[in-house]
Amino acid sequence: MNLIEALEVLKQPVSPHRPAIRVGLACGFTPLHLETFLAAQLRQRMPAHAIEIVPGLFGDLAGNIERFQTGQCDVLAAVVEWQDLDPRLGARSLGGWRREDLPDIEKSVELSVSRLERALRTSSSRFPVCLCLPTLPLPPLFTTTTGQASAQELQLRNSLAAFAANVAKEPSVRVLNSQQLDERSGMAKRFNLQSELTAGFPYHLPHASAIAELLAALIQNPAPKKGLITDLDDTLWSGLLGEVGVEGVSWDLDRHSHMHGVYQQFLGSLASAGVLVAVATKNDAAQVEQALGRKDLILAKEKLFPVEAHWSAKSESVGRILETWNIGADAVVFVDDTPMEVAEVKAAFPEMECLGFPRNDPGAIWNLLKQLRDLFGKSAISPEDLIRLESIRSAGAMREAVNHDRGTFDDFLRSANAEIEFNFAKQPRDSRAFELVNKTNQFNLNGKRLTEAAWHDYLSNPSSFLLTVNYEDKYGPLGRIAVLLGRIEEKSVSVDSWVMSCRAFSRRIEHQCLKQLCERFDAAEIVLDYQATPRNGPLQEFLSAIAGPLTTPLRISRNDFLGKCPALYQRVKELVNA
Amino acid sequence: MHDLDSRLNRCFNSVFPDLAAEQVPTASVESVRGWDSLAAVTLLAVVQEEFGLEIGLTDLSGLVSYKAIHNYIRSHNGGS
Repeated sequence: MNLIEALEVLKQPVSPHRPAIRVGLACGFTPLHLETFLAAQLRQRMPAHAIEIVPGLFGDLAGNIERFQTGQCDVLAAVVEWQDLDPRLGARSLGGWRREDLPDIEKSVELSVSRLERALRTSSSRFPVCLCLPTLPLPPLFTTTTGQASAQELQLRNSLAAFAANVAKEPSVRVLNSQQLDERSGMAKRFNLQSELTAGFPYHLPHASAIAELLAALIQNPAPKKGLITDLDDTLWSGLLGEVGVEGVSWDLDRHSHMHGVYQQFLGSLASAGVLVAVATKNDAAQVEQALGRKDLILAKEKLFPVEAHWSAKSESVGRILETWNIGADAVVFVDDTPMEVAEVKAAFPEMECLGFPRNDPGAIWNLLKQLRDLFGKSAISPEDLIRLESIRSAGAMREAVNHDRGTFDDFLRSANAEIEFNFAKQPRDSRAFELVNKTNQFNLNGKRLTEAAWHDYLSNPSSFLLTVNYEDKYGPLGRIAVLLGRIEEKSVSVDSWVMSCRAFSRRIEHQCLKQLCERFDAAEIVLDYQATPRNGPLQEFLSAIAGPLTTPLRISRNDFLGKCPALYQRVKELVNA
Repeated sequence: MHDLDSRLNRCFNSVFPDLAAEQVPTASVESVRGWDSLAAVTLLAVVQEEFGLEIGLTDLSGLVSYKAIHNYIRSHNGGS
C-alpha cells in the first residue's frame, strides 16, 4: 500500500453504528505516515469500524507506554527503535560516539529495556500489546568495520533479544516477527535520514507501510482455525495407494518425496497444539488402514480422526467429519492435490478455506506450510487444546453408549460419574475464557464479542463476576467448557455473556450452571441478556424448555427454574479465589 | 503535461479532501486552511512517492503552493 492509497482508504465512510477501535500508538519518533498506514491497514481488515489512532509524545517511548491507561485504547502498538533505548543510537543526538562512550551506551540500553519490560507488563494487564522491535540499522559508531559485528553491538542485540523473549511470554503481548518484516522490507531501504532530520520520522514509506501491515495483522488477531482435513494420495504421501500399494507410497529423500514427510511433520506439529486433523480420501478403507499403520509414518496414526476412506464424493466425507467434530465449516481448512476435489468441497462448503497441495513443487509446499501456520497460529496453547481430540473421541463413545444402552437417558447420566467444577475466581488474563466467549456460536447467549480491553474493563467492575466451568466424566475430561459473565444485583443476577462449548451438550451442564448461580448469589431471579442469533439454536432450545417464550432480556425466577429443572447427577465442586 | 496535472491533483485531493477541484491549481499555504506543517510533510511525501522524486533539503522550504510543486516536478522530470 502506498501513502496515497492509504489516504484514500481512510476517506471511505464507516458505519456510525459500530464502535471505533482505538489503537494507542507508542513510539519515540513522530508517528506521521506510520499512523496513516496503520489506520488504513486496520480499516482494510475491519472495514465496518472507524479506526482511531491515539499517538503519544515525541522522544518518550517508555513514557508513552506508561501513560496509556485502561479505557484510553483497545489495543496498544509499541514501535521501538534503537534511539529509544539510547538517543546516541540514533542520528538526531550528538551525545558522543567515542570508544569510551560504548560501555555507557550498553548500560543505558540495559536500563531502558528493563523500564520497557515493566511498562509493557503493566500495559498488557489492561489491553493487548503489539510490539515491534527495532527495525533500523545501528549507526556506524562501533570501532570495527561495518562488515564486522563488534562485541558491543552483539551485546546490545543480546540485551534486546532477552527483553523480547521475556515480554513474549506475557499472554497479552504479541511481538512482531522480524523475519516477516525482512521478507517485505530490505534493510538497505528502511532508514530515511533526511526525513528523520527534517520531520523526526525515520522510515522510508514502503518500510512504514510494511510495519503497519504486520502490526495490523497482530492487532486484528483473527481467530485460529480449529481443524484440517487432508487428502492422502500425493498429499500426505507421494503416490497413489491403489496403484503402488502400501509399501509404494513414500515420503523420503531417496524417492524425491521428502516434502510429503515435511507436510506430515507439520500436521504433527498442528495436532500437538490441539488442531484437529482428519482424512478424506477416495481409496479402499482396508488399504488405507494398512498404510496409515506403517511404522515409518511421521504423523502418528492416532492423531488422524476421523478417517473417511471410501469412493463417495469428498464433500460427503467432509460433511461427516464436520459432524463428528461438531464445528462449523468456517473453522476448517481442506487440503487436496486435485483441483477438482478442492473445487467440489469449496462448492459444498463456501465458508471453508480449501487449498491445493502443490505436489512436485517444494517451494510452493513450503509456502503452503507458512500459509497454514498463519491460519492455525495461536499465542498460547491451553490445557483444553491438548485434550480436544480425546474429548471428541469420548463424546463419540458417549453417543454410542446412549444409543446402545437399554436404560433411559437419566440412567446414562447417572452412570457417567460426572464432576463439574465451578470457578468464580476473577482472572482477567484467563485467555481460554476470553477465547470461548469470542468463538462460541451455538450455545451463546447473544453472540456478542468482546475486545480484550472491554474484557478487562468488565472484570474490573467490582459488581461483576466471571464463572468458568470445568467438566469431566468417565469418558474423559472436557476441560473448561463454559463461561458466564455477569453482575450481581440486589436480589437478582444479570448474565451478560454465557457460552458453552458444543462438546459439552446433552449433559445438563447448562442446568447445573443456572442452579449454581441461584445458590451462590442467593438470587431470586436471573436476568439473561438473551438475543437470538442465526446460530444459537441450541441455546434457544434450552431456554425455551425452562422459560417458555423467549424475550429480551429474559427473566427466569429461581422457583420457576427449579420447578422445571430435570434431575442433575453431577458432583459439584466450587472454587472461589483459586 | 495533462498526466502531471491529474497526478498532482490526485495528490492534493488525497491530503486536502475538502479542497474543491477548481481551487487546487491555486492552492497555497496561505489559501488552504489545513496546510499546516503536518499536511506539508504528508503532501510532499505523497508527491515524492507518486513521481518517484527525492526532494532535496534545500528545496523543501520553497514548495508552498501547487504552482511551486508543479514547477519543481516539471524541472526534475517527475512528470514524464
